Amino acid sequence: MREQETIPPKLAQRFLYWFLRDDLAEEVQGDLEEQFYTRLEDSSLQKARLNYWYQVIQYLRPFAIQKTNYFTLIHYAMFRNYLKISWRNLSKQKMYSSVKIGSTALGIAACLLITLFIQDELSYDAHIPDRDRIYRVIWVFNNEGDLEQDVFFQAPFAKAILDDYPEIEKVGRYNAGELFGAGSKEVRRADDTQNTHEKGFVYVDQSLIEIFQIPMVYGELSQALAQPNTIVISESKAEKYFPNENPVGKSLVLDNNVENPFTIGGVMEDFPPNFHLHYDFLMTMTEREFWPGEQTFWRASNYPTYVKLSSGADPIQLSEKMKGIIDNYILPVMLEAGITDAADNAKHTRFELQPISDIHLYSQDIFDDLSHGDIRFVWLFGTIAGFILLIACINFINLSTAKSANRAKEVGLRKVVGSHRMSLIQQFLTESILYSFLAFVLGIFLASFLLPYFNILAAKSLVFPWTAWWLVPVTLLGTLVVGLLSGLYPSFYLSSFQPIEVLKGKLRRGSKSSYLRSSLVVFQFATSIVLIIGTIIIYRQMDFILNTKIGFEKEQVLLLKGTNTLGDKIPTFKDALLQLSEVKHVSVSDYLPISGTKTNGNGFWKEGKVQEDKPIYGQIWRVDHDYIKTMGMQIVEGRDFKNTIASDSQAVIINQKMAKEFGFENPLGERITNSGAIWNVIGVVEDFHFESLKEDIRPLCLAIGNSPSIVSVKLSTSDMRGFIQSITGVWDTFSPNQPIRYTFLDEDYASMYADVERTGNIFSSFALLAVIVACMGLLALSAFMIEQRSKEISIHKVLGASIKNILVLLTKDFLGLVVLAFLFAIPIAWYAMDQWLQDFTYKISIEWWVFALAGCMALLIANLTIGYQAIKAALVNPVKSLRSE
Amino acid sequence: MKETKLGEFEEVILLLVGILGEDEAYAFKIAEEFKDQTGRSVSIGAVHSTLSRLEDKGFLTSDMGKATAERGGRRKRIYTITAYGRRALEVSRDFKVSLWRQFPQFGFEFGRLNLNDF
Repeated sequence: MREQETIPPKLAQRFLYWFLRDDLAEEVQGDLEEQFYTRLEDSSLQKARLNYWYQVIQYLRPFAIQKTNYFTLIHYAMFRNYLKISWRNLSKQKMYSSVKIGSTALGIAACLLITLFIQDELSYDAHIPDRDRIYRVIWVFNNEGDLEQDVFFQAPFAKAILDDYPEIEKVGRYNAGELFGAGSKEVRRADDTQNTHEKGFVYVDQSLIEIFQIPMVYGELSQALAQPNTIVISESKAEKYFPNENPVGKSLVLDNNVENPFTIGGVMEDFPPNFHLHYDFLMTMTEREFWPGEQTFWRASNYPTYVKLSSGADPIQLSEKMKGIIDNYILPVMLEAGITDAADNAKHTRFELQPISDIHLYSQDIFDDLSHGDIRFVWLFGTIAGFILLIACINFINLSTAKSANRAKEVGLRKVVGSHRMSLIQQFLTESILYSFLAFVLGIFLASFLLPYFNILAAKSLVFPWTAWWLVPVTLLGTLVVGLLSGLYPSFYLSSFQPIEVLKGKLRRGSKSSYLRSSLVVFQFATSIVLIIGTIIIYRQMDFILNTKIGFEKEQVLLLKGTNTLGDKIPTFKDALLQLSEVKHVSVSDYLPISGTKTNGNGFWKEGKVQEDKPIYGQIWRVDHDYIKTMGMQIVEGRDFKNTIASDSQAVIINQKMAKEFGFENPLGERITNSGAIWNVIGVVEDFHFESLKEDIRPLCLAIGNSPSIVSVKLSTSDMRGFIQSITGVWDTFSPNQPIRYTFLDEDYASMYADVERTGNIFSSFALLAVIVACMGLLALSAFMIEQRSKEISIHKVLGASIKNILVLLTKDFLGLVVLAFLFAIPIAWYAMDQWLQDFTYKISIEWWVFALAGCMALLIANLTIGYQAIKAALVNPVKSLRSE
Repeated sequence: MKETKLGEFEEVILLLVGILGEDEAYAFKIAEEFKDQTGRSVSIGAVHSTLSRLEDKGFLTSDMGKATAERGGRRKRIYTITAYGRRALEVSRDFKVSLWRQFPQFGFEFGRLNLNDF
């Protein structure tokens, strides 16, 4: 034992042998051993052994390290050789290389674009300081299991929670209701006469801009909206109205209201596009009341309310405590108003605090009148991008293994002359990384080239991040990952060949791995078919939305906006319009069955049942006598409003839904009340859609009233351009200081479903991409297979096979795969699209022929892809390929 | 192109090879000698690496010695200084002497010494 211990440490010796050049081994070992024993003479064993280790480590110098060992990570000469061989292969087989690189590049471009999209979606509201302490208050009403969530609160709600709960540091509200004069307005400088129409007006609290800490260009954030009748405008609007000057303290006249101009309290930086609110004109709520007592009125909810908590406060606890607001403020008011089920409702109501960073992506079920993203789409698009990249990688694997037969001899020879399996694997990985690098470079350029189109498609304004720090590292990392992923299987497969067999010519056709290849083709086509089915269904739903019977006629209706500035000239204006030969009807009403126009909410009861019955919630639209005619709505019972009947000012026309909710057998002559006025029902209008088709039609009634902002004109003309000219002429005589502004009802209607259309477009683009990539793979694969079987084909021909026979022979394998893919795709597509359609109350049903169509399309595409190659092969003179045997 | 300049450490090693002579000039002994002469310890690896560099530059040649009973019968690599190496040492020495001569205080002394001795 003792003897053993006085030898140099074994492990150190082993390590030394491992890395040391063989020709140095003898002398170095000798030297070190001598050193060890010399050391042992005048110091402890421990120290000697330690010193031995030290000496060994000190030999880790370039001159002493074995050159062929893997210890050197890169052996330049070999690496250069790998690259050279890769390059030769690449340029020898142009078609395969371009398919490999091209399809991967397409996949990468798609991935990159979607990554940018997702990054943008996730960046919403990330710029707000202290955003982890800012929450939006959500009102949750549990309606027998149905959660109804909205963000609109009573005017005094904000002050109440600020007073009652010390953990709330700040609370701020906004009001964007058109009913209150937010939305769009006519604007001019106080020293100007020409109005310009502007959108993006909103009423906000001074405290709200402090919560968001909106960056200011001019003026003090803490004072900007503190005074009554002040307004904060965005930098771009300031530039428009007050170029090159500081507008703070200057005045703007809104909607010709000269008596009450707004004083500019500050100029803010434009809201960034990834802020969930988009406004340019913030009007102060300071000392504003929309009617006497409005600011202390607990029975109207119009204010989205935000809170900023003091640091460390628990939002969940707070939202629990906030139930106190219901008991202390809301319930007493409701009971006083005689609402019998108020106590019951209060029990089912609670508050939630939604983190501000969740607003953009997690608000699908919350009614807030904002347009936002949807986390499901982020996932969906991310998945699609992943799949496209996967399909591209599969092409890569497929083509590499398919071409393996041609590389088999090379592998065999390399092995014979002494190549390790490891170095063959390295060679093939180098090759695939080279391909993936080229694909990445191409993909990046492709993505930057396609970005403008993608922006149109996705309604975004993304910029290609050429200067972003992560671009280069991520590209390199991606190159490595994609190169390794798609190169791993081929490299292990190719390097496993037995030299003796391949050199004898046994492993001829590399058909062994056809199972894997087939399943990869099935996967590719299944993905493509799912996307094709998705596209068809989305477009059919869109078509359904645009062409379904919606209860009013949206064609040939021109909407003139901003007509409230005409004031009492409106009736004369209406008459003037009717003088035009193309005009059939004219109606003045702000309430239109499209989004972005006025809406309201009221509880309705049968007359005298206010105390007993639950209210029917619905809208009351203020219209004029020509409204129903202009909109082309159908009266199913009773009559339209008549100018000649004075009592019509107390009359309503209800929709079928309201009649049904009230349970009216014979609605005519019934009397209903919205707790203020009492209305006689004189007619029933056929249900028409006035909200998104995603929702049910809700109760609604029409009453005569004044709402002069929009004039609807029903026309009958084929010369729209000429008509626009004549109507502009009429407008200019009435309102010379304000340019005419109009839209068309059908376009406004279609724009309500812009998001559906957008989804459809994105889906179809990616479906197309997936199909292209899959086809590229199939094309190359079939070309290769046919090339492999050229002798077989020739023999068939010699023996008398017709071209048709040969086509069948060549295509049936692949078509079988496509059919299999189709079978896989059907349930997946059906499930996914069924989920998507759940969003709509009014929707198409998924019909079998959609699947059949998608299947046929896939078959046809596959057939065309293979067919060209097959025909070419079938037409070749058999002599050509048999000559050499 | 091979570097033919002589570094400070290289020069010392080269001198030590000359001092140790025929049988003793192998890596371990040189490292020991270096430590004895300078008081600084140095790893064998460092010495070995310098030796092989000097060999590349042509200042040294080497040969495996005879097998002996010590070191488990392993042979040593014995280094011998070449004429070129000797020349390089001389050039280096002369250069330094010429520098010393120009050094104010000592230059005079060297001068006097020279006068007396020669």
